[in-house]
Amino acid sequence: MTHEKLIYIHPTPIRVWHWLNAAGIVLLVITGFQIRYAEVLNLMPLKETITLHNYVGFGVIAAYFLWLYYYLSTDKITIYFPNLSTFVAKAVKQVKFYGYGIFRDEPNPHIMTPENKFNVLQQKAYLGIMFVLLPAQMISGVFLWKVKGYSDYIHLLGGIRIIDTIHVLFFFFFASFLVVHCYLATLGHTPLAHFKAMITGYEEHR
Amino acid sequence: MKKTCPLSISIGLSIVFACLAAPPLARAAIKNSDCFGCHSDETLFRSETDGVSQSRMSEQLFIDKEKFSHSVHHSNGIGCVDCHADIKNLNYNEEVPHKKQLAPVNCTMCHEEESAAFKDSVHMKIRGKGITMTCYACHGYHYVTHQESMSVVERVNNVCAKCHNPYLSHDWLPKKNEHFAFVECVVCHAPEAPRHIQLTFFDLVTNKMYSGQEILKILGIAENEFMPMLDINKDGNININEFENLELMLKQKNVHAIFHAELVVEMQAMAHQVNKGTAERDCKTCHAADSPYFKAVVLLLTKDDGSANHFQVDRTVLESFSLRHFYVLGGTRMKLIDKIGFLLLAGGLSVVLVHLTVRIATIPLRRKNECDDKQLSLEKEVSQ
Ligand code: HEC
Ligand code: HEC
Ligand code: HEC
Ligand code: HEC
Ligand code: HEC
Ligand code: HEC
Ligand code: HEC
Ligand code: HEM
Repeated sequence: MTHEKLIYIHPTPIRVWHWLNAAGIVLLVITGFQIRYAEVLNLMPLKETITLHNYVGFGVIAAYFLWLYYYLSTDKITIYFPNLSTFVAKAVKQVKFYGYGIFRDEPNPHIMTPENKFNVLQQKAYLGIMFVLLPAQMISGVFLWKVKGYSDYIHLLGGIRIIDTIHVLFFFFFASFLVVHCYLATLGHTPLAHFKAMITGYEEHR
Repeated sequence: MKKTCPLSISIGLSIVFACLAAPPLARAAIKNSDCFGCHSDETLFRSETDGVSQSRMSEQLFIDKEKFSHSVHHSNGIGCVDCHADIKNLNYNEEVPHKKQLAPVNCTMCHEEESAAFKDSVHMKIRGKGITMTCYACHGYHYVTHQESMSVVERVNNVCAKCHNPYLSHDWLPKKNEHFAFVECVVCHAPEAPRHIQLTFFDLVTNKMYSGQEILKILGIAENEFMPMLDINKDGNININEFENLELMLKQKNVHAIFHAELVVEMQAMAHQVNKGTAERDCKTCHAADSPYFKAVVLLLTKDDGSANHFQVDRTVLESFSLRHFYVLGGTRMKLIDKIGFLLLAGGLSVVLVHLTVRIATIPLRRKNECDDKQLSLEKEVSQ
């Protein structure tokens, strides 16, 4: 193991944000299920669930701004933007790797560096999540929080049901994503490697 | 009208009506206009203000003729002396042609059912504390109108909010603003009373409710043509397709009305049974898919006198995009979205499971590769 190289891949603000966000999303998904399916789930009383969901929601929003501030103030935001000219070729390679090569212990076509830590598939997915889905979820959540107070804006956007539909569809996406995300995180060179990296900041390189 | 009731069954209903109408006729000698002779004078005030009945009545003895003529009682042929029943005749020789102090009006002589229901309520029980609550503390008297066409806000302002500020209590209830705007007080406070979701036409641009007359005019039809036009399958119920048709018709007339939905009680005596500690407070009675509160839905065509025509609507409309501006968490959710959601979840899970299975199944393969690799590098070392 000695010849393995350690690279510092996740800076502290990002690690803090990541775990706040992760805990937040997990709680939001669980309380979300309870709120929507109050007639079958009995994890906790509806009122307290709603209160908790709202607090955690604002926590996630705060964490989001931590993330945004870090990336905007360091220019590192570019790691989220795939290079469009090479995207298709790289995406095909990456899919082949996950679907085939990985079972044969072939090397990952993407080499992680602090400047380029995501593969193209990750770039696309995280770009969508951080710039579209999560903001949409945050905004729709805030609207649901004060239906009467924001009724003018809600009417403009087509009504409370539209807002809620967005919130619920994305909720399912996040719930599904959570499972896939955790699984993909076990695909490091050891099953726990990526998890450790998000705690210590260092990724081991083979 | 005749005084004798013809005993024919075919006109049974009109008998009841004619008989009910009999008492007014019996005193037909006194007309409303007789009273208005003096009581339409805005300067008519009580001579003594320390009379016994002060607390019940105003000092001013003026009655607004115009407003009275729109009241539900006037439209139903109830005159002054039907309520002020102790005025048997007017004696114009006196300065005041009737007793200076009249007996209190007894609403219950005509409203027995309401009075019985009201007896069983906290507002009646406070009589024990020396407070007498009359019917008209809530309803007023000369200018009572029908209440069916009123929105929740109007109903609350007209009645309960005259005495209670609900924001001072209900601390257990989140989103007070939303609840008080969409749920009539007595829906929770008289839980026995039947209730329904009432749908009215609302214009977001002008922020105004469309009256039934306006809607009929826009559609260019008469009142009795409304349901036959909408109810294509003639089951007496507006289903989701028929509802969407109505939306389309309005759009074609360039009217961008949305449907405003509220939870109100039906106009029934049971609405009076407000009691201590019996109000609905379980969130799940409303905020769950099987909620009994969202079973009945009616579409209203309101009339000028405050009454309204009710048209039964299928409850699935509540769970559709036709009602974009009303959504009760859990209560009126769309099942389709749940299905899409569970597909998404199942999709994610199965990708993970399949990948994991293949990963486990191919462990031997990778082990072999690893051995080969090691062997190779060993051989290299040896050969060096
Ligand atoms: C000639 C004028 C005149 C006519 C006609 C008249 N009233 Fe009055 N009414 C008065 C005056 C004056 C008073 C105020 C008495 C006082 O001094 O308190 C009064 C008082 C009242 C009161 C208050 C009684 C109370 O208990 O304090 C009522 C109720 C009333 N009138 C009803 C009627 C009705 C109903 C009619 C028609 C059947 C009618 N009045 C016709 C002049 C009239
Ligand atoms: C639905 C029943 C009802 C009808 C109809 C009615 N009144 Fe009254 N009126 C009342 C009640 C209730 C009061 C309050 C005092 C009481 O209990 O006697 C009252 C009070 C009054 C007063 C005292 C002043 C006030 O406003 O409190 C006058 C004057 C009066 N009525 C005149 C009339 C006249 C004139 C008519 C017909 C145009 C009329 N009322 C029709 C129920 C009625
Ligand atoms: C605490 C206030 C309050 C008092 C007091 C009160 N009501 Fe009502 N009444 C209501 C409410 C609330 C409704 C339901 C209408 C609505 O949703 O606004 C209603 C409805 C009615 C209706 C129409 C519904 C029906 O049954 O046809 C009548 C008639 C009525 N009340 C008569 C009376 C009579 C008579 C009394 C006195 C015995 C009385 N009310 C006392 C609050 C009150
Ligand atoms: C002489 C009989 C009579 C008296 C007395 C009487 N009412 Fe009525 N009231 C009626 C009739 C008739 C109607 C119409 C019923 C209908 O349209 O179904 C009515 C309707 C009402 C309504 C129903 C409005 C709605 O929402 O449809 C209310 C509220 C009401 N009266 C209150 C009162 C009050 C308060 C008093 C006492 C001040 C009173 N009434 C006295 C006969 C009477
Ligand atoms: C005319 C004034 C008045 C109106 C209008 C009125 N109330 Fe009340 N209400 C009272 C009074 C007075 C009490 C008794 C308070 C007490 O016992 O301390 C009371 C008591 C109550 C209570 C019991 C309070 C407790 O301590 O638990 C409830 C619930 C209530 N009202 C609900 C309503 C609703 C709902 C409406 C509308 C349909 C309404 N009230 C309209 C005067 C009014
Ligand atoms: C979601 C249901 C709900 C709605 C809507 C609602 N209430 Fe209540 N209210 C309750 C419950 C539950 C209590 C607790 C006491 C009880 O059970 O009577 C209560 C308590 C009260 C009390 C007694 C407060 C005290 O000091 O103890 C009053 C007065 C009252 N409500 C009036 C109103 C009025 C007026 C409205 C309409 C603006 C309203 N409520 C709407 C459920 C409701
Ligand atoms: C009598 C039925 C009823 C009860 C009981 C009730 N609610 Fe509501 N609730 C509603 C209605 C109706 C709305 C308004 C829907 C809208 O805004 O279009 C609403 C709105 C809400 C909202 C705002 C989001 C939304 O759906 O628009 C929240 C949050 C909420 N309720 C939570 C609760 C909690 C927590 C409880 C129990 C403490 C509770 N409700 C009890 C009927 C009820
Ligand atoms: C990814 C994270 C999130 C998930 C998975 C999620 C999930 C859910 C779900 C499933 C519901 C129930 C909707 C229904 O039954 O129709 C809900 C309601 C709600 N969500 Fe979220 N949500 C998330 C983020 C947020 C955020 C950031 C906020 C902002 C504060 C928020 C605020 C709300 C509000 C206000 C409601 C309505 C219930 C209430 O008033 O408390 N949510 N959420």
